[in-house]
Parts: sequence; C-alpha cells; structure tokens
Amino acid sequence: MQTEQEIFQQVRGVLVDLFELAPERIVPEARLYQELDIDSLDAIDLIIELKRVTGRKVQPEQFRHVRTVEDVVRAVRELLADPSTA
Amino acid sequence: MRVARPRETRWPAFNRATRRIGTGVAFATFGIGGVLLSLTLFPALRLASRDRAVARRRINRALRAVMALFIWFMKRLGLMTYTLHGLERLAAPGRLIVANHPTLIDVVFMLSLIPAAGVVVKQALWRNPALRWPVAWAGYIPNSDGPALIEDCGRVLRGGRSLLVFPEGTRSVPGEPLALKRGAAQIALASHADILPVTIVCDTPFLTKDSVWYRVPVRRPHYTILVGEPIAASEYAESGVPHATAARRLTARLAQYFTRNIESVLGHGRAAMREPPAMHPSSL
Repeated sequence: MQTEQEIFQQVRGVLVDLFELAPERIVPEARLYQELDIDSLDAIDLIIELKRVTGRKVQPEQFRHVRTVEDVVRAVRELLADPSTA
Repeated sequence: MRVARPRETRWPAFNRATRRIGTGVAFATFGIGGVLLSLTLFPALRLASRDRAVARRRINRALRAVMALFIWFMKRLGLMTYTLHGLERLAAPGRLIVANHPTLIDVVFMLSLIPAAGVVVKQALWRNPALRWPVAWAGYIPNSDGPALIEDCGRVLRGGRSLLVFPEGTRSVPGEPLALKRGAAQIALASHADILPVTIVCDTPFLTKDSVWYRVPVRRPHYTILVGEPIAASEYAESGVPHATAARRLTARLAQYFTRNIESVLGHGRAAMREPPAMHPSSL
C-alpha cells in the first residue's frame, strides 16, 4: 500500500510530464482548471496517463468531481484501495 | 499585391478629424449593411439551392466579396492602408489558418482574402437574431468547449475546406504578451491538418479591445499581413507524446512565431515598410 506522500509524488510527476508545469506549482490545494491551466481535453489525457501509471482501470466518472491536485490524489488512493479496479 | 504607404499628410489634425467621421460612416455601413444582407442576400442564396453545401459555397463567396468591398471602402475613406505578403498560400485547401487578432477588423480582412473557409466564431453569434442563420448557413463553427469543437473542425478540414481560427479567442490586449488558447493546436493535432500561420500587424493601436471607435489614432494606421510557411502539426504529434503535451509545445511555438513577426514588422519602422520583413520559418 502506497502512502499519501508517494501517491502525491506520483501525481505530481504525471502533471509535470504531461502539462510541462514547474514542480513547485503542484501543491495539494492548486486548482487544476484555474491555476494550472488544465482544460477539459487535458483531463482526458490525464486520466489515460493515470491509468498507465497506476495500472488500474479508471472510469472517467471517478474524476468528474476532481477540482484540485488533492482531489486527484484522493481519487487515485481510492482506485488503489478498490480491488475491483485491479 | 502590395500597396505603397502614402506620404504623410500635411494637415494631420484635419486628416484625423476626417478619419473620425469616416470611421463612423464605416461602422454604420457595416452594421446596417450586415443586417440588410442577413435579411435579403443570404436567405435568398440559401433558398436558391436545396443542397446545403451548394448554398454554403455561394454564401461563402458572397461573404468574401462583401468583405473585400468593405476593406476597399475603408481604404477609400482613408481610414487605413495595408501591405499583404504570401497571399497565394491561402489558396491551398484543407488547412488550419491560424491568425493573431490585434484589431476589430481582422476577421473582415481574413475573410476577404481566403477563397472558402469555415471560421470558428463566438458562440454568442448563435443567439444574435440577425446573425444566427447566416453564420449557420455559411458553415461557421461555434467556439464551444472541448471535444465537440475539435470534432466539428476535423470534419471541415477533412472535407477539404480551410478553417480560420483566432487562437487568442478575442482581441489581443495591447502591450501584453500574446495569450493563445490551445484549441487551435488541439484541432491541428487531432485532424493532422497543416497550420498556416498568418501574422496581422497594425502599426498603431487601432480598434483594439478597450478602445472606442471615435478615438482614432493620431496617424493613419497601416496593416501588414504576412501569410507564413505552413507548419506540419505531425512534427509535434510524434508517437508517445500525449496530445496535452504536444498542444502546449505547438501553442508556445505559435506564440513565439507571432511575437517575433510582430516585433520584426514594427522594428522595421515606417520608412522600410515597403520591404517584406524578415520572417522566421526556421524558428518553427
């Protein structure tokens, strides 16, 4: 089981690679749309990338209510904890 | 086509006053003419053919003629002059024509120059009672958000029509760096269309975002429109690079390209305006 911190680092890595963001901008409370300039098309790429990194089945609905980096971390943690996504 | 810049006027204050009146006349003509055409010529062209595509082509041609007439009218009124470079590149079909957007009449200029093009325009036009039907008949595309826009644009480009997009989404803010949205890059990456970049430069603030029409510039504005070399979006869509990343890189390069061209044209000064400014195809 990964710790919260490990998941956060993983999510940060994905955001930095995918959206060419400076790592220091990725803080838990940063809002994806407003502060990190991630749009609806980017969100699709983000979900695909998280699927690849975690090796889990990801349903886009699970990310519908995601607003901040913290929300992404929480969604990934729930994915990893849910045996049905393995 | 090249239009030499006329010599400076001997009566700058008088010239400015006449341009103020001329601008009012131009605005009124555009507004009234637009409504009249929307009620007469465009519905007539739509009704003259059962085939939507045929009607669309005729309306596109009529629009181009009307826009060219209006540009000629503005020039005749002495409101502005212009120099055009690389126009022949606009004739190639199925390209994504991407232009910066410094002034109000950029779309009029572009429509007067492009043979047949779809245009991505403000969604709000579909709520305008006079314009909603003409923009739909002309095959224009509302700038909705996300996948629907990308799909609509891909259909136009695959059909061999060109598509005009202003990636800033609205007019540039004078004195600030260009802020390009990534939609244009996303469209190019998804449809594998070549991008044809068009740099529009006006040598003095004119009909900018926060200006009012009657505050005309001290001297007559001069437009320089540069149609650049096409850019293959496929270079950015290499295997393994997600669209999100490629779109950012492509958008950043476009912003850099426009900025350099604008600086290059403005840096040339007014005396050298007859010479084609240096372009930066290598920067892409």
